Amino acid sequence: MIVSDNLKPPLMRDVVIDHIFEEARTDKNILFISADFGAAALDRYRMELPDQFIHAGISEQNMVDLSSGLALSGKKVFLYAMAPFLTARCYEQIKCVIASMNLPITLIAVGVGLGYDHATLTHFTPEDIACMRALNDIEVLTPADAEAAKEMTNIAIKNPDFRYMRLDRQGLAPVYNGQFKSLYRQGFGHIVKGRSVVIVTCGMLLQKALLACEDLIGQGIDAGVIDLFQIKPINGQELAKVLAGYKAVVTVEEQSLEGGMGSALLEAMVDYSVCKPVKRLGMRDGYAVVNGDRNDLHELYSIDTSHMINAVLELMEFSG
Amino acid sequence: MNINDLQAKTIWLRQQLFEMVMRPKRGHIPSSFSCAEILIALYYGGVAHVVPGKPEDPNRDRIIVSKGHAAMSQYPILADFNFFPKSELLNFTQKDGLLGMYADFRIPGIEGISGSLGHGVGMGAGFSMAARQDEKGHKTFVILGDGECYEGSIWESAMFAAHQKLDNLIVIVDRNKLCIMGETEELLELGDLESKWSSFGWHSCTVDGHSFDELLSAFSLVGRTDGKPLAIIANTVKGKGISFMEGRSEWHNRMPSNSQILEARAELGMED
Repeated sequence: MIVSDNLKPPLMRDVVIDHIFEEARTDKNILFISADFGAAALDRYRMELPDQFIHAGISEQNMVDLSSGLALSGKKVFLYAMAPFLTARCYEQIKCVIASMNLPITLIAVGVGLGYDHATLTHFTPEDIACMRALNDIEVLTPADAEAAKEMTNIAIKNPDFRYMRLDRQGLAPVYNGQFKSLYRQGFGHIVKGRSVVIVTCGMLLQKALLACEDLIGQGIDAGVIDLFQIKPINGQELAKVLAGYKAVVTVEEQSLEGGMGSALLEAMVDYSVCKPVKRLGMRDGYAVVNGDRNDLHELYSIDTSHMINAVLELMEFSG
Repeated sequence: MNINDLQAKTIWLRQQLFEMVMRPKRGHIPSSFSCAEILIALYYGGVAHVVPGKPEDPNRDRIIVSKGHAAMSQYPILADFNFFPKSELLNFTQKDGLLGMYADFRIPGIEGISGSLGHGVGMGAGFSMAARQDEKGHKTFVILGDGECYEGSIWESAMFAAHQKLDNLIVIVDRNKLCIMGETEELLELGDLESKWSSFGWHSCTVDGHSFDELLSAFSLVGRTDGKPLAIIANTVKGKGISFMEGRSEWHNRMPSNSQILEARAELGMED
């Protein structure tokens, strides 16, 4: 599998909402609730299905509490907001009334990580993986392309459960080319198979990891790439088998290094006795408000393509 | 039940709760005692539709004690409704017991988890919206603490419920004027709660929360279809029924001494 050329991939949120819309037309128990966050697809949804759309106000606490009563009454509830406000902002509500009762509610967050680049720190979610994966019985999912997003949505509709879907703000170029469905249960995609160092990432940074890998292969290095789209529950058993075929691991994420995707992978490696050199790239303490687009931020936080390449080269040297 | 029977049932509830708490020496008596008449009116006064032996009845009215430290007040009532064996009351907070310090939704008759304040109105609005969407006639009653009204989430959901015209949602504020550290009006003034709720678009009124005449009169407003949710501010006394606890914040979760237990039992009309 390689990154396909596609000039304008659809926005992740539109892919997800359009799919929910199609199902909601025949399933009156599907309810979509927004805390004043829109989408082109949502305009159609609320126009055509006004009884299955709720505007909760810019009141994420209310939105989550409300969803619990609806879910306990048999409704299939989708909560939708900008990522920072659907997670840390109402974490107490999610913990108490969704996680504690393990209610089948899907949280759809848009703009994870550094997606809202120019909005800076208030709109970043460098901690969303850490805080959300700590919740009882949650599934944490990060689709890397529209196909993955659509299949994850499909599962959320067909098999409602407590899920957190981390959507990128942008549309992401296709990666899976029809193969995601068969990979869903595995929890990760081994996108490029290699034998030296594997780069593990998820979401938007997969695009950059693939570029880094291409560069490394050009240098004669047999690098690989894994899309760890399901961070919880993490499939440590299968990951261990795949990682066994590599000498070292690089993780890269738009997350704080404390508790993020790299941490989750390290925990799985320890649990399954996979002992390899690991280099984690992510956000370190000390970040402050800066202006710049997402590429600038990746460079600033040392999570861009060239830092991925350098990390692989360093590990190659270290691990022989 | 007539008012005399309701009063007798309230004495029974306080006795049951006192015994339930004194076994493990764990629980919140004053907060539970302040809302005793409110709960008795709901369950036995012909206000809420709850059918004995049928905790899962789809048409039941939903009753949420959002001030979760007092949700244990429901336990003797739910046992009385044959939702679970009365013997469970003897195992309150015990290792293999069904009943915990705070109510959990796995207990038959408990609609949602509680213990953290501020969730009940939103959760109740969810039950009410689902009922309306499903064209069901049941109602949702939410008992709030007045101290709980400090939580901003209460007001987010209050605004929402009024906008959605949820006249099948009823809030009863247990206005005992105390929180853990003292008197609400001294610590951080809550002020005129009736006008606060009405300014949020609710129909609201204030009653004596220990008077069945006044409570039942307020509950006669349940079932209106004017598109407004109903907030009843029930003025109460925290610790009502045990004189040395009444109106004293330090008793929030303190346990009485042996001599105080005897004194309390005598005041509650319990035989030795």
